[in-house]
Amino acid sequence: MFAFNTQLELRRITISSLITCIYLPSIVTVISYRGSLYYVGKGSSFYILVLIFIAELLKSFYLSAPNDIQGKKGKTSKTKASDVLKSFVFLLGVNFCFFIGIILFGAPVLDLHEETLMLSTLLTILTIFPLILHSGVECSMQLLFGVKSFARDTVVEMLVNNAMLTVCGAWLGAVVIPLDWNTPWQQWPIPCYLGAIGGYLLANVLTVFKATLMTAAYKYPAVNFLVMILNKLRVSK
Amino acid sequence: MITLLQYRWTGLFLLITALGALTLFLYGFFPLKYHSGKFAHMSDLPNFIDGVSIDGQQVYNSGENSVILMVIDGLRYDFVTEEYMAYTGQLLKNKSACIYVTVAEPPTVTMPRIKAMMTGSVSTFADVALNFGAPAVRGDSVLRVAASRGRRTVMYGDDTWIRLFPGLWSEYDGTTSFFVTDYTEVDNNVTRHLDKVLAPDEKKQPKFDLLVLHYLGLDHIGHLEGARSTKIKPKLVEMDEIVKKIYVAMQKWDRNGILIVCGDHGMRDAGGHGGSTPAEVLVPLVVIKSQDFECPHPLGPGPTVAQVDVAPTISWLLNAPPPGDSTGRILPSLLPADTRQHLYLLHIIAERMAKQNDLPTDKEFYKQFERAENQFAHYLATGQQSAAKISKEFYEQSLAEMTEYLNGTTVDFDMFSIVVAIILLYFIVASLLCVTLYSLQPDHSRKHSTTKRGYQSSNAGRIVAFLFMLCLSGSGLIVACFITETKSQLCSFNGLWLPVLLVVAAAFTITYFIMKTGIERIKNLSSLNELNAIDFLLIGGTVFHAWSFFGTSFIEEEHMTWYFFWNTFMFFVLIRSIVVVVMYWSKKMTGATEVQEKPGLDEKMSAVGISIVPKWVLLIALHRYLRTMNQTGDRWLFLPDTADWLNEPENSLYLELHVIIGTIMTVLICVHNLVYTNNLMYIHTALTAAAATCTFCYRVATHAVHAPFEDMKTWDPIIIVSVFWGILMAQFIYEIITYVGFFKSCGVHPAEHAMNSKKFDYVKPKTKTEDYIYDPTIEEPWNVEEVKLNLARSLSHLMLNNMMLVILLLMRPHNVVMVPSVYITCVVSSKCVDHKLLDRRSARNTDVADVLSRTLVHMWIGILFFFYQGNSNSLASVDLGSGYVGLREYSPVRVATRMGLHAYAGPALAGAVLFCTLAAEARDWQQYLKSIWRATNILALHRVYAVVLYTVIATIFRHHLFVWSVFSPKLLYDFVATVFGVQALATIGYIIFLTHVTSWLARVLITRSGLR
Repeated sequence: MFAFNTQLELRRITISSLITCIYLPSIVTVISYRGSLYYVGKGSSFYILVLIFIAELLKSFYLSAPNDIQGKKGKTSKTKASDVLKSFVFLLGVNFCFFIGIILFGAPVLDLHEETLMLSTLLTILTIFPLILHSGVECSMQLLFGVKSFARDTVVEMLVNNAMLTVCGAWLGAVVIPLDWNTPWQQWPIPCYLGAIGGYLLANVLTVFKATLMTAAYKYPAVNFLVMILNKLRVSK
Repeated sequence: MITLLQYRWTGLFLLITALGALTLFLYGFFPLKYHSGKFAHMSDLPNFIDGVSIDGQQVYNSGENSVILMVIDGLRYDFVTEEYMAYTGQLLKNKSACIYVTVAEPPTVTMPRIKAMMTGSVSTFADVALNFGAPAVRGDSVLRVAASRGRRTVMYGDDTWIRLFPGLWSEYDGTTSFFVTDYTEVDNNVTRHLDKVLAPDEKKQPKFDLLVLHYLGLDHIGHLEGARSTKIKPKLVEMDEIVKKIYVAMQKWDRNGILIVCGDHGMRDAGGHGGSTPAEVLVPLVVIKSQDFECPHPLGPGPTVAQVDVAPTISWLLNAPPPGDSTGRILPSLLPADTRQHLYLLHIIAERMAKQNDLPTDKEFYKQFERAENQFAHYLATGQQSAAKISKEFYEQSLAEMTEYLNGTTVDFDMFSIVVAIILLYFIVASLLCVTLYSLQPDHSRKHSTTKRGYQSSNAGRIVAFLFMLCLSGSGLIVACFITETKSQLCSFNGLWLPVLLVVAAAFTITYFIMKTGIERIKNLSSLNELNAIDFLLIGGTVFHAWSFFGTSFIEEEHMTWYFFWNTFMFFVLIRSIVVVVMYWSKKMTGATEVQEKPGLDEKMSAVGISIVPKWVLLIALHRYLRTMNQTGDRWLFLPDTADWLNEPENSLYLELHVIIGTIMTVLICVHNLVYTNNLMYIHTALTAAAATCTFCYRVATHAVHAPFEDMKTWDPIIIVSVFWGILMAQFIYEIITYVGFFKSCGVHPAEHAMNSKKFDYVKPKTKTEDYIYDPTIEEPWNVEEVKLNLARSLSHLMLNNMMLVILLLMRPHNVVMVPSVYITCVVSSKCVDHKLLDRRSARNTDVADVLSRTLVHMWIGILFFFYQGNSNSLASVDLGSGYVGLREYSPVRVATRMGLHAYAGPALAGAVLFCTLAAEARDWQQYLKSIWRATNILALHRVYAVVLYTVIATIFRHHLFVWSVFSPKLLYDFVATVFGVQALATIGYIIFLTHVTSWLARVLITRSGLR
């Protein structure tokens, strides 16, 4: 998938994904060590979301800050205040859409709103938020509705890929809920919450893996074969 | 054999064969025979305990007793409290009565429970299927031993007892148990005899030794309104009054009176029963003795006993030996204080169990029994109380363990039949796969393959080959019989079973030949290249779902799997349709040139319009709402759902709203469908409106809806329903008569009145001189095929209309909205799965892929609504109430069809909509037949595929803890679903047959009357 424009971009993507691969498992480890893994749905664990939010923010600064190839960046830095406000409103809207979508998918309608809201916020932060940070509100809206294709932009492609796997992870997490194991983690929304984090993590690991392979391919052309296989897999999906 | 592959109804016949194979499997899985044929006699009572002599009959004697067994159908444990049954609660409190928790084995339906209580042996699961028929018990029972001892037995109540034990009652008055809409008369019919029968005669003796009272009212209320109904309390108070009456009457007798009050099974909160949840399985049993009795157990819930304990207890009280197959014990509170008798009773029961054929003698409990016997003998010889105490303890320990052991090993499966059935099902599913793939080939390649018939061998050769294979498979079966040395009935080679063996061999042969020709002939599956991601989701989901049953929770919560799949499907479609619509709009905005680049896009959009996206979102919301309507499954069943809320009296306005909206929507849909019929002078519209009015009147008459007209409430629902049936019948007959041209020959020319009836006229098509040399219709100057297609269209739509109206009548008030919802879902989603809309590639020939995805989507919708409606894979969710709509008395066939149609309303409606859409969208008669062929094959394939995997799973898990509570009910559901599958395909076959007959009739009539 990655037709990397420059080595620089490749390195950035690798490093930001690596950071994700490190910070996300550490957060999960810490909260499970503190025994609050079963309370991720409660409002009291909002700090996890804040942590992830900050991490994503920093990551995106790294991804697209200093010497940018795209000309868009300059525009966003000019009108920062209105842009931030717009993004914030857009994020809220997306969050609400996720909330409604999750309820339509089968979350309880009348109760457990807090839990559903936490899950939808997590999904928003992991999927749409990096996309907005990278390419702005209009552009991500166009991306969402398929008007604009992202074939050229590697970073956006990675982000969209992350988002898809995150949603898939949350979706797959729901599978364990009806099982009769009667474990505490089968409570709503823990499987979906962890599934989303797992999906995001998996996407990042894949990115790192592929980027490493591609860097290797510059040196050893034989590895190109593997890269091609990986690309084929992606296309068929 | 190629003819067999091409024959349009091979799928149906293979499905019927699969039904036969499934029956064979069920025969092997649910052994019917379970009594040993042992009859107990007084002389069986042992006179020696480990060599020490004892007068068995004298010690056994329990004195003069009259026993009253009062069975309250559906009495669950939490009903016997002081709140509901004040008098009984009082008796329990001052210890003149004892309460026990009895554990009823699943299936918790009445007939097997009665059997268990009377024979003392655990019944088999197959009894649930016989619950309707209730064949007489041929083994030993309390009634038989009582009759053999000359006891006088009297029975009032449920006539199941009389059918189970015919000729053993001295006096009886039965009431039909299945008429659930009546809950007052059934009980009054029992109570009216009480005064007479309880009154002592001149010697102050009661007129009976055993009196059985079976009250059905409570269960009926449960079936109608659930366990939280307001009618429950008055009913329990009524029952309490009867307990009081009996207790007071017993005091006047000059002999011991013992009253046992118990339920046969419990009920779920929703009111059903049949499964194995605590609410259904735990049943109270209250023992009340008229004289010198004090309950030995502390106050509270009471010890746990088994339901089979009732049999030896009553037998002993009647001074008769325990029935031959009894594995129960005597209720502890009734055991005599006299140590000798007490130990003797324990000994009899323990010995009975220890002497069972298959009980190993090297186990610990057997040794314990021998030790206990030893101690008992020691006590008899020396009179030491310590020996008696030890003996008692040992007896009780060994009894507990023996019961556990025997209950665990009572089932033996007929493995030979099971394996043969599974292999046969595999053959059938493989041949169905061949048939389906063959039918999915694009049209031209199939024609090509038929032209190569010259290579085929002669007829005689084929017959020889067939006979050879038949002999081979037959002898293979016989050899298998001898090699495995099975005791299976299938290998008994006598009477009825020899033909069965032959039929199995023939089925093997036929499926083999279908597979063989199929593999040879399937060459071109290019039409499957048109499948898109949604199709793969549909196929993958369907295939995967059958495998999910390896987990028991996925059987109990099957609805979750389907909801999950359906959500995913809806999500996929939503994304796709949004993308298509946005692309279309943005292209249109930016400039017309790009739209012209993709001319297909414009065409796509004009078919559905932009409104598809909001429609689809609304549909998702509708489904979210319907999903909350009925909680189903097992784990979250207790959660309150919308149906509970609607049925609360203060929310009756909303319930009425549901009923009215549902009815009106259905009528609108029906009227909309009438455009396909020969709607002469709007007679069909009038008839439909009349039928709908009938259903509405029925709702008013059954008090589901309030109407301003007081008169209507008093109308007899049964007459309304009869009128309703009459209207539906008239509609069908009228339609066929107009096709035949009956009205024309009567001199009426309807074509002049209604515009659309022209399409049913037989006319000569305008002859085109250029190309009619190759035109096949040259032989037939009339447009017969076009009229046939129109007739098929109209008949399928009429079938759909009538089915919707009937189901509207059968549905519970809160479920009425399901009927229009099924239709709307089907229509909208079949539009969305259309390959022309969603595919980016402009596909050329999507006929086959369309039929495939449509069939699967309709199947999914059907199953989905099956669960929305509150059904599950547990027997408890079967709604008995729907079976009695518009019936005055019990008639097994009618009740069963109604219940079946109600339970499978979703699949039936979705299937009907599918066949209507196929008919409506067919271009010509041949294409219609082809799409029907494909659809039926796919449906049959799915059915058999699900069955074969499930039979394998059930066989693997046959020793699983949940085999009777989870796996077996699902087997019965699968069986019924297969029966309905056969029925559905046969209906379509019937419609096509009817069109042929009608068109033939019409031709005869037209040529006769000379109308040209």
